Amino acid sequence: MKQGKFLWLLVTLLVGVVSCSHLPGTSKDQAREGNENGTMDGVAEIKGDLGPVGNKGQSVPDIPVKKFRLKNGLTVLISENHQLPITSYYTFFDIGGRHEKPGITGATHFLEHLMFKGAKKYGPGVFDTTIEKNGGSTNAYTSMDSTVYHQKFPSHLTKKIIEMEADRMVNLLLEPAAFEKERQVILEERKMRYENRPSGKLYLAMMQEVFKDTPYGGSVIGDIPDLKGVTREQIWDHFRRYYAPNNAVIVIVGDVDSQQVIRWINHNYGAIAPSKNLAEYKQERDDPTLYTHRARFGRSVNIHGGSPSPMFMLAYKGEAYGTRNSYVMDLISSILGSGTSSYLNQRYVQGKKPRLASVYSGNYTLKHSGVFYIGGRLLPRTNLKSLKRSLLRDVKRSCTKMITDRNHHKILNQFLHSLYHGLGSNSGVASFLGNYEFLKGDYAHYRQELAIYSSITLEEMRQGCRTLFNPGQYIFVSLWNKHPAK
Amino acid sequence: MTINLKSLRSLFLLWGLLLLSGPSLFATNVIDTISHLDWDGVEVRWVEDQRLPVYTIAIYFADGAISDASNRKGETSTMFDLLESGTRRYSQQEISDHLDFYAAARSGNVNHEYASYTVSGLIKDLVPTMKKVCHLFADSIFPKHEVKKVIKKQVANLRSMINSKGALANRAFRQLSLKGSPFDYPAEGKIGDLPRINQRGLKKRLDYFNRSVKKRIYLFGPKKVLAFKDIVKHDCRWKGEGANFVRQIDYSPVKASGKGAPIYLITVPDANQAQVRVGRFLNRNQDANRPLMSLASGFLGGGFTSKLNREVRVKRGLTYSISSFASMQKEYGRAAIMTSTRNDRVVELLQVVRDVIKQVGQGEYPAEEFLKAQGHLAGGNAFRFEQGEGLVSQLLFFDHVGTPYRHLVEFPAKVEGLNAQQMNQTIKDLFAWSKQTIVVLGSAALRKELKKLGNVKVIPYKRFL
Repeated sequence: MKQGKFLWLLVTLLVGVVSCSHLPGTSKDQAREGNENGTMDGVAEIKGDLGPVGNKGQSVPDIPVKKFRLKNGLTVLISENHQLPITSYYTFFDIGGRHEKPGITGATHFLEHLMFKGAKKYGPGVFDTTIEKNGGSTNAYTSMDSTVYHQKFPSHLTKKIIEMEADRMVNLLLEPAAFEKERQVILEERKMRYENRPSGKLYLAMMQEVFKDTPYGGSVIGDIPDLKGVTREQIWDHFRRYYAPNNAVIVIVGDVDSQQVIRWINHNYGAIAPSKNLAEYKQERDDPTLYTHRARFGRSVNIHGGSPSPMFMLAYKGEAYGTRNSYVMDLISSILGSGTSSYLNQRYVQGKKPRLASVYSGNYTLKHSGVFYIGGRLLPRTNLKSLKRSLLRDVKRSCTKMITDRNHHKILNQFLHSLYHGLGSNSGVASFLGNYEFLKGDYAHYRQELAIYSSITLEEMRQGCRTLFNPGQYIFVSLWNKHPAK
Repeated sequence: MTINLKSLRSLFLLWGLLLLSGPSLFATNVIDTISHLDWDGVEVRWVEDQRLPVYTIAIYFADGAISDASNRKGETSTMFDLLESGTRRYSQQEISDHLDFYAAARSGNVNHEYASYTVSGLIKDLVPTMKKVCHLFADSIFPKHEVKKVIKKQVANLRSMINSKGALANRAFRQLSLKGSPFDYPAEGKIGDLPRINQRGLKKRLDYFNRSVKKRIYLFGPKKVLAFKDIVKHDCRWKGEGANFVRQIDYSPVKASGKGAPIYLITVPDANQAQVRVGRFLNRNQDANRPLMSLASGFLGGGFTSKLNREVRVKRGLTYSISSFASMQKEYGRAAIMTSTRNDRVVELLQVVRDVIKQVGQGEYPAEEFLKAQGHLAGGNAFRFEQGEGLVSQLLFFDHVGTPYRHLVEFPAKVEGLNAQQMNQTIKDLFAWSKQTIVVLGSAALRKELKKLGNVKVIPYKRFL
């Protein structure tokens, strides 16, 4: 999960992001009911077991959180932090690139952009202007699994943010002129992130090769013909199906009164109808058999791209988030490529005869599948084929050489540091809690996770490493300006 | 595996308690939480923060890349890059293993005016981490084979800069827009400079920073971070006495580009998008009104609701992102607008930017747009204190440029005291079209289009590496 978290960020950087306003049009009309300061019919507080967990009785961090569920299925997490008069607000929707079918790739991300273009009550330009004129900021990202909207703002704005977020969840406008302008913006984003950036192009190619013929084999940003062809009606259909309280998790962290906030939430979101056929829509894409790796492994793929020195990604079959093996792979990935002292760094970048200018590794755990990869850029006069042979040999050898008690200890220390670093802001805490709630249905799952990481034995890691790096189970994707253009 | 479970346990217990009941760091006045200490003549600032069992330490050095010898440009930057390359006692591998083992995140930053080195990690491991860091400053020998290796890597990185067209455009833009000032040369040097850097020079450079250059230390974290005091004395062996050199930079004021200045087209292969940079150098100005400059650049290109974002992205769909900044260092400043667009609309984009600047300079925009920009800047102040690293770098910069810490709390009121006329005039001064250097990085085919706007000077991108 540690690498998963890093990759969550990576996906954010590579794929999603951004916003802005404008539109009139269609809406999912819903009447609003309820008393914002009164009783809270239809809200259940869900008490979790917050006692110590894990092996050998070790205690784990206990972030104070109140969890609620509205009658319409909306899950709400609130964590009070009164250090500064500021608050962060995250909304996770269980809709991502994997829900798109051929012909509408990029629709989820396109919709993410359009969510900033105004709703019925708070029209074009109001959402971001309200936040920014008060010193706050807003943005969003889309991944293969989810779409996430986030804001940070002075706490006095909390009620208004709830009203505006509820408005756009149900009453989004999709004004045609703004729709077309945003299409152009996304095409520019695609150029910036992928077409003119070799690292983005390589990453996209690797993902598409590894997840070929599975729902993860598309692209979050979308293929160009799809982006040019997608219609307002198709986007509207996407919105109507998936943007609903029973498909969302809201996380609020900051200087708020949780009881007051849940009353506001109930007042504004409580009357929004759930998506009636959500289970049916999702069933089709959640079928686990769809996610079995279908690509042919044991091969190389060459891509023509602008890099004057070859760049590569060596990918292996990963596993979905939450399996014990996926945690083992997290540790292996960190030992292999995290930090200057890591095995691959020392062998290929820092060693006496370096062959790479940089190297990294990652274990991307998605909701239903995963990919383990190693990437890097070659130094001049390093032969790509010979580098590939060495890497394939060395990763296998590394299973005995690199998996030591000291390295395990090192990785746990690094895990702790990045965990605390992430928790140093309201946004960090909100993102942290929301991801666990989204992936496991339990924000407190991180507490079990720490215990799992420390319970994994060296032998388990060695065995996992040997299985992972099974000969012939790789896809080696490289990008270079000397590869022939197809 | 029973490794450090005991320490994990104590950390978590401590953390859990603090989250629920810890002292409020910023509840009243952030300045009250800053302690001014003196460690053997070295100035120290400590921001106490009990919330998490982590620390950040930043060491400021009052000299930077500007003092690199003309035949060894990039030496200071390389010196910081190579700090972990070896000492008399430890190899590069042993050093990195030690620091990674204690999960220490470390980074050096060298700009023209000053340098800094920042370390953050778990408070429980502060002593072994910082002892090693000080050992590096005191005893690094920059082994020849390590120097050779790193230089080779740096050269390869520069040659691969074409992979990041935004960064390449920034690099070219800096060299062109700061031409004639002492700050145009890249702090990390160019490909031709790097092979001249050697072990002897690096050792001398480190010795100079240790013995002569003034230092200041910034600490963020719980009280245990003060354990660094003895380490500074015994391992870094830094004293205030004798190490008091502060770089001053003298130069004749630089004239802004006038009318008729060419548009620079930096050509790169295989680009279907043009990177655009518009901006200028600002001469030293000790009376610069920093809040006003921030307001002016924020109005134009700060956030999704900024004037340029609305006009260029939202109304016309010309770009994915556009932003601007205007800021002063100690000795100079810069103002710039950064964006990208499709090849066939680069002229239109430049025309829109030009027209927006003109209109704003003349006050031709709705009054609420000014209030929105003002609110954005003033209201955003609280977010600058949220994380330790942000606050530490803010304090470090304030000390460098001589801004009192009270600016942190006075900033919102100062912004709220500004009016639209002041802002319009500042935008007119900073961004007047005739004073800007315009740089477009993209396909050579753009030349024809750009000629519609005036003279075009074509320069291949490799010239800037």
